[in-house]
This record gives sequence, structure tokens and C-alpha cells, in this order.
Amino acid sequence: MIMKSLTRRRVAVTAALSTLALGLAACSSGSSDDASAPLEGEVSGDITLLTPIFEGTAGQKLLEDELLPKFYEEYPDVTVSVDYTTYGNLNEKLTTAAVSGAVPDVMMMGVGWIEGFAERGLLADLSDLGLTEDELLKSYTPAIVDAGTWDGGVYAVPIMLDTRFGVARMDLLKEAGYDAPPQTWDELVEMAQALTVRDDKGTLERTGFDIMSLDSRQAFETMLFSADGDLFDDDDTAPAFNGPEGTSALQLMTDLVNEYKVEDIGFSSTDEAVNPLLNGRAAMGIAHNNLWTQGLEADPEMLDNLEPFIIQGDGQGMFFGGTLATRSATSKNPEAAQALLEFLASPDAALAANEQRGNVPALTELLDSDYVQGNRFVQFAMENLDVAKREGGPAEWLEVRGDFAPAVESALLGQKEPQDALDDLAGLVQTAIDR
Amino acid sequence: MSRTETPAGPTQVLPAPVRPPKRTHSPAERKLRRSGWLMVLPALLHIGLWTAIPVVATFALGFTDYNVFSPPRWIGLDNYVEIVQDPVFRKATWNTIQYTFWTVPVSMFIALVIAVALNQGLRLQKWYRTAFFLPQVTATVAIAMVWLWIFNPQQGLLNAFLGVFGIPGQAWLADPDWALWSVILVGAWQGIGIKMLIYIAALQNVDESLYEAASVDGASTVRKFFAITVPMLKPATFFVLVISIINAFQVFDQIYVLTDGGPANATTMMTYEVYRSAFEEFRMGMASAQSVVLFFFLLFMTLVGRRATREDS
Repeated sequence: MIMKSLTRRRVAVTAALSTLALGLAACSSGSSDDASAPLEGEVSGDITLLTPIFEGTAGQKLLEDELLPKFYEEYPDVTVSVDYTTYGNLNEKLTTAAVSGAVPDVMMMGVGWIEGFAERGLLADLSDLGLTEDELLKSYTPAIVDAGTWDGGVYAVPIMLDTRFGVARMDLLKEAGYDAPPQTWDELVEMAQALTVRDDKGTLERTGFDIMSLDSRQAFETMLFSADGDLFDDDDTAPAFNGPEGTSALQLMTDLVNEYKVEDIGFSSTDEAVNPLLNGRAAMGIAHNNLWTQGLEADPEMLDNLEPFIIQGDGQGMFFGGTLATRSATSKNPEAAQALLEFLASPDAALAANEQRGNVPALTELLDSDYVQGNRFVQFAMENLDVAKREGGPAEWLEVRGDFAPAVESALLGQKEPQDALDDLAGLVQTAIDR
Repeated sequence: MSRTETPAGPTQVLPAPVRPPKRTHSPAERKLRRSGWLMVLPALLHIGLWTAIPVVATFALGFTDYNVFSPPRWIGLDNYVEIVQDPVFRKATWNTIQYTFWTVPVSMFIALVIAVALNQGLRLQKWYRTAFFLPQVTATVAIAMVWLWIFNPQQGLLNAFLGVFGIPGQAWLADPDWALWSVILVGAWQGIGIKMLIYIAALQNVDESLYEAASVDGASTVRKFFAITVPMLKPATFFVLVISIINAFQVFDQIYVLTDGGPANATTMMTYEVYRSAFEEFRMGMASAQSVVLFFFLLFMTLVGRRATREDS
């Protein structure tokens, strides 16, 4: 059985690797008359990689003991120095790197980050060395490719996605007489109320729908998308999140806390060691796809009870962020940098990186891999990527995204009406865009 | 009071003041001066490079729109106007003042009491000193992580402790009514160690004969504390006050780890807003202007502290 699985996986990975290799070869051949196109064997130089993924012992081991040796087999004259960081410190690293002029040759960054850094000239247009949007569209969904493009140029290649969607504890739902997750907002409210448990003193013991374990901004974005709303207008020049859809989404979140008493402030948080869906303190909630991996480590038998679902209002609520690889516009070894970037985005390396973090591969062809097929949340996310929406849009996104959480929290805490909170936020965002 | 009268009479022509002869240094003195300059040169270079130039640059950048990636653009006082109009920075300023107001005196008082107690020759004195000083030498991030667990509404030690007495637990860091107090508690607790150490050092310089004389006069322990200990510790108190105010105004790590400035900006501080402007919003010009405001706040508070502690001297 194990042998069969390994063989199947090897075949799948080999096939995927061959496909991307052919694709990349096509990229190179597509610009064959470009003298600077990366050519295997001729690429050389010392390059640096700044990465918020591959962190921790397991991640470093994967990158340095498994992936980079494979890269060196292909490019023996390239030396890679790795600078590990976290997403929390990535901004600081990039800022200080830009000030000092020592910008890493290859940088991994998040969805929504590309626009700002591309506009500021930090990133190179990858199509200069043959990686075009048309080529990427053969391997990724349009929304994912869009996350790496800016002003007609390709500035990033996606490696992994972080998705958020609804998750239900089916054992608890069945106890309460429900046999499927909610299909509408009304059902969500009704079920959340029925599934909420408080003790005699009114202390919350189980929330019917957990929105506190997730960053407030991302929870709001997921609900906004489920209301069929958007963060910005079509040309990303004005906020759209304070329209009727956004207001109704934030109103619903506020009502869940303050009117329906489904969850109390402080009942859970992003710092929670164990997600309440895993220990039964939540019957439903918005969760990250790596909840599956957490469950696998904590209580594998319980995973059968977890059911992912799209939160449905007038739209379908699924959010995706992710990690993309970029090349510095000032790299002294652009060919070597692009070679590393393409290697890290190749099926083999990307699959390993996603598996290590329990994330969703951006490459469509990896849907058939054993990892994806063995991880129900990742599989669910990949199968529904066509309805997922991402954050970001204008080049100023990084400047304003930190303002979302206080605005959402002010509504949840009852300090402001949802419409006022969003209007005030929209004012800040518009000022930043116009600045 | 007597006053010197100038005698009336014809105007006297005063002799031109004689300038003292220019002092010439002997070769040995010149050599000594050169050696002195050479010895302070590394420190001067260090301060010039890492303190003076950044300070001057900060003042200059405060008048610019600078996003790191493109050259600074002169915008005059726009950053300062925005700071005045920004409700979040106003909130951060007020939070910082509240934080300083509560952490500095409270931790100074507790530190003084502990220092006096530990100066009495208690058993396990060294152990106690180490225990009280430990938070000071432990990384704030590590401390904040421990407090994060203590404050956890469900599994936290604090709510469990209160539960023993039938007191309902709180969402310490998520409730805007409690979040700032929770942060203040951590700040006060962490600051006790260094203050205690300074007070202990100062206490050991207080002349024992003063206490002996007071005892002969029949002074009680409390009377001796307020009439001898407190006045004799005045220089140390001024020093502790100044460094405590500076430290309190620079609070950052524990906010970063404990609350991220939330909920709804309830615990954001001036330093945290400087960080956000610089590294989240890439507005180095704005961050510089906010730093200048912070600098003048610190200067003002230090001068007030100086005046307060010198009044009776």
C-alpha cells in the first residue's frame, strides 16, 4: 500500500516536474534571442534569498538539505545565502535592505505586497527573462497570476497559498440536529445560535461560530467576499469595502457577537495555542487551511469531524493570501536569481514547501499530488480557488492594511457603528491612495 | 541688605583691561591632551555616527515625505499637522502618558520598599535580589509571552487565581477596558528590578550614624524612613525617575507581543505608532516627525522630573 502510494506520488511529481520544466524551457525558448535569458550551466554568481517560509528547524532542513542541493546540481556555479525571517519582520527587513542598498536577489513576499514594491521599483519584471503572464496562466488560475502582476508586468511567481473558509464540527452539528454546514447567512446565524453553549452563569463554553481566532482583517475580508463585496473598485483607485456589502458583512459579525451572543470578546484569539474548532470550544468558524495539519498533530481521529465549507451570502466567502517569489530589480546576478526563483516555484520544490507548512500549492497541476489528495482542507481549497478572492489591489495596500483590524474591532466592541467604522477606514485608505 | 554706592565725581578713565597672557602648554601637557583626545575618539566617532547623525537626520526627515524607495520630498510642517489631526496618534500619546503615569511611580514605590526590606539583612537576601532583578535581564519578548499565558481568559493563571475567590475572570487583553491596565501591570512589574538595584546601591551609602542618632532620639522606623531614607535617596530617586520616564515612553516590545496595539488601538503607544509608520506604512518622514514629538515629550517630562526632585534641595 505504502509502496503503491510512493510510486503514485513519484509518478505524479515527476510528471508535474516535467511539465513545469517543459513550460520553463518554453519560456526560455520564447525569448531565445534575448541574450540575458537564463541558460543552464552558464548561470553563476552569489545570490541571497530572503524568505518568510522555510523558517524553523524543519523548514531550514528542507531548504538547505533537500531543495538547495538539487538546485546546485542544476546550477553548480551559483551560491545561495539564505536570510530567514517571519512575515512579522519581513517589512522591516525589506525596508532596511532598501535603505542600505543591499536588497536580496530573491525575495519571498505575500499576496498584496507585490503591487507596492513593484511600483516603488524594488522588483524586477520577470518577463524580462522570459517568464510571461501567458506562460503563468498555463499553470495557475488567473486570480493567482493576478496577485503577482502589476501594471502589465509580471513581478512574482506564486509558490503557496493561505486560504480561509468556513469549517464545521460535524459531530457537534449532528448532535444539534444539523446534517450539513450552513448554506446561507440566515442558516449560519440560526445554527450558530443553536450551537452556542453557555453555563448557568452565562459564561461562554462553546461558540457557535468563531471569528476571533483569526486576524480581524482577514475575518472581515472573508465575510465581505461572502457578501459579494470587494475591497476596492475595479481600477483600485477607491475603497469599495464600505459599500452595502461590506457594511452588511461587518454588521453580521457585530451582531454575532453583540446581538446573537454567539461569541464573546476575548473568547479566542490569534494567540490561542489550540484552535477552538479542534478542542470543541467552537462548533463552526472561519479557519485557515493549515487547521488540518494542526489537527493531524493534535488529534488525527477528530479530523473526520471537520467539514470545510464556503460561507455563502450573496457571494461566496473564501479568502486567499499566499507567498510569492520575486527578483530584485537591482540584482547583480539576475539570471542566477531568476533560476532560483523558478526552481523554488517548480512543482517539486513548491510541493515540498507546501507540505511542510500545510499550505495550498498554487500550481494547479499539484491538485493530483498525494499531499493534496491526503489533506482534505488543501484539496477543498484547491477545488474552490475559482471562487476565492485575495486581498490587496492598490500599491498602497501595505500602508493601509494595518488600519483594518482596529476599524473592525471598534465595530465588534460597539465603539462605532459598522458603517461609521468602515467609512472612517475608507477615509484613511483614500487619503493614502491619493497621497 | 547693603548696596555699594558709586561715588559721584568726575568720570574716571579706567585703564584698559589687561588680557591674561595666553597660556602655553608644555610639550608634556600637549602630549597628555592629545592622548586624551585619542582615547575619547572612538566614543566620539561612535556617538557621532550612531547617535548625532541619526538625530539630525530624524529632525530633517520629519519635514519630508520619505518612503525609503524614492528620495525625500520637502513638505514643511505637513507631517506635524497630520500628527496633530490624527486621532490614533492622539490616542497613542494619551495611552503613553497613562502608561508612564502609572508604571513609573508605582514601580518606584514598590522598588523602594523592596530595596529597604532587602537592605535589612534578610535571610536569602541574595536570592530575593536575584529574583526581583530577573525580569530586568530577561528579554521582554519572553516575559510578554509568559504574561500572554497568564492573561489568557480561559487557561490563564490570573483568571484561575481570581476564580478561587469567586471573582469572575476577564478578557484582559481583548477587553478595551482592561487591556491598558494589563499592559501597565506588566510594565510596572518588569521595571521593579533595575530601580530596586539602584535604590539598594544608594541605601548602602546612607550614613548609619544618622539612623543611630534618630534611634537615640526615639524615632520610629516609619519616621526614620521618611525623615532619613527618603531624603538621602533623593539623587537616586531623580536618576530612577528620569530613566523610568524614558523607559516608559519607549515601551514597545510588550505592546508588540501582547496586544499589537489593540483592541481597537486601546493599547497603542507613541513608539508603536512610530514603528507602524516606518515599517508597516513605509512613511519614514512621518515616523521621524512622530519621533521628534516623542523626543520633546521626553525632554519635557525629564525637565519636570528634574524640577520636582530639586525643589527642596
